[in-house]
Amino acid sequence: MQRKDYLLNPVEHMKIKAPLTVDQLMRQFSGSGSFSAGRLAVACDIYEKMLRDDECTVFLALSGAVIPAGLRALVSDLIRRRLIDVVVCTGASMVHDAIEAVGGRHYKGSWLVDDRELYKYHIFRIYDVLVTEEDYVRLDYQLAELYSKIADERKGEPLSSREFTWELGKYLSDPQSILRSAYEMNVPIFMPAARDSEFGFIHWLHSSQQNRKNTLCLDAFKEVPEICNICSQSPKNGMIVIGGGVPRNTVQSAALASKKGMDYAVVVTMDRPETGGLSGSTLKETISWGKVKDEADKVMVIGEATMVFPLMAASVLERLGEEFQRKPKTSTGEN
Amino acid sequence: MENSQKFCGNCDGHNCYDYPTKIFCSTRYAQNKNPIVDTLWCCSDWSQVSQDCYCVQEAKKAKEATTKQR
Repeated sequence: MQRKDYLLNPVEHMKIKAPLTVDQLMRQFSGSGSFSAGRLAVACDIYEKMLRDDECTVFLALSGAVIPAGLRALVSDLIRRRLIDVVVCTGASMVHDAIEAVGGRHYKGSWLVDDRELYKYHIFRIYDVLVTEEDYVRLDYQLAELYSKIADERKGEPLSSREFTWELGKYLSDPQSILRSAYEMNVPIFMPAARDSEFGFIHWLHSSQQNRKNTLCLDAFKEVPEICNICSQSPKNGMIVIGGGVPRNTVQSAALASKKGMDYAVVVTMDRPETGGLSGSTLKETISWGKVKDEADKVMVIGEATMVFPLMAASVLERLGEEFQRKPKTSTGEN
Repeated sequence: MENSQKFCGNCDGHNCYDYPTKIFCSTRYAQNKNPIVDTLWCCSDWSQVSQDCYCVQEAKKAKEATTKQR
């Protein structure tokens, strides 16, 4: 590089004049091109590019507690508009979705509360979001019965987590539910760590019943070829990662195992790379594994997802307009 | 412990079903019995809860309020 090559793009200072749409704000961020504003603007460009690329399958890797914190309807709507093709998430994300689908709620609270008192009232805290024990327990009771029904129908035949979420989506009727939307739109949801959530404890309850003939069986390995085949059969793959952890690793590993490598990648995280943990690992690091292509459009946005992701989605939806339509990208969601 | 009397609401196996009046009992569920019981009920499988909660005192208040209304 020559000296002049470093000095091609001057920072355009942001001009904020009301009224201003979300995408207009993102364009101002793009003009600045600096720090988190610049990265968020690039993330919007990449998501738009993924969606306009007819050959690309869009994976959403979802972890953390963004569903109880308010992103449930957004994810559900994106699925219904076919702006997400595959979801890979923690069990807890779908537990929180299911809690609301059967009539429970999450409540605005504060991190400055007496947690001992919350314990006495049977109220659980997720930073500044509150949820009652009875909302969990009502879900436990309903799903333990559903587990028994599925187990009897399947006669002990193991399910992949994708088949399990399909069964949950079939059972739930709430149109705002992520599980229900995915079921109706044939969008597969993988929960590689399903056991590490209330779904695991519901299994405990279900299997504790005396004289129970069949118990529900999840096969953790059954989904590996399912997700790898999606990656393998798609000409291009893109991922949006909220958080990291097991969902991010599952998506990236599918790209690695299918010898594809991601063509597009947006990671929204607040984690640091120095521990060697996946959630904070840089996209540069993923290139060494072949999980993301060197030439991929990629960006890591360091920020909290309940703020970043809705801005990103709003900007991209504005760019696409109401008329924009994508074809379904996967057939694995059919059971 | 604040509650010396035996109730489902201070039993170790209790979870709220309809706070504060109804409890979900996982032991009864395992026994194929109706798992939804009154907070102020009790059975022979009772064992002391390890950490106190407000279930019993709030259930008593709710019962008193209902009685007064009648």
